[in-house]
Amino acid sequence: MDREALYVKLNEVFRDVFDDDSIVVCDTTTADDIEDWDSLEHINLVVAVEKKFGIKFNMGEVNNFKNVGEMVDAILLKI
Amino acid sequence: MNEYKYDDLYLGLTESFEYIVTQERMDLFRELSGDVNPLHNDAAFAQSKGFDDKVVYGLLSASLISRLGGVLLPGKYCLIQQVQCKFPSPAYVGDTLSVSGVVEELNDTVRQAVIGVTIKNQFNRKIVKAKLFVGFLGES
Repeated sequence: MDREALYVKLNEVFRDVFDDDSIVVCDTTTADDIEDWDSLEHINLVVAVEKKFGIKFNMGEVNNFKNVGEMVDAILLKI
Repeated sequence: MNEYKYDDLYLGLTESFEYIVTQERMDLFRELSGDVNPLHNDAAFAQSKGFDDKVVYGLLSASLISRLGGVLLPGKYCLIQQVQCKFPSPAYVGDTLSVSGVVEELNDTVRQAVIGVTIKNQFNRKIVKAKLFVGFLGES
């Protein structure tokens, strides 16, 4: 899967978790860009991403993603 | 009180207890919540709407999820993150509710357990169906 195809799937996850069909994420998107992205929704997001892509993050990396691009980098390494 | 930590849990682990709904408990809930809706307080009104009697507050029944998580599964270290709840059938004063929780999902990365909760009355009818998402104090 290339980065562009991954983003199509990832946007589905974000829209589902945050219940907002207008969300479009990119490499530079951070929690500051999505109003409801708090620590609780971050947990929901991590679980949803893991299920969507059939992967497992480790605790350290999910706490250290600086933006969506770093999450995408991690996903690409695991799928 | 149980003291399960995340690593103690396994899929299928189950805890349960029973609870009798009394008028006194209904009165206490009305006092706490301020919900004076006649469906829960006026038998004639409730019957006119098709129910057998005054309907037990759904959130009184659902409040038992707090006890389940905070006391039994996982117990002492419970940190409730989220509850998703449905009320498929009414409960009535005098009912004996059986509250049961089973570990359905363990999300290792975020140290989160998802507990399926079922609350049934004495006729085995489902009163509450819920999912309880919990984290663990000192582990997040």
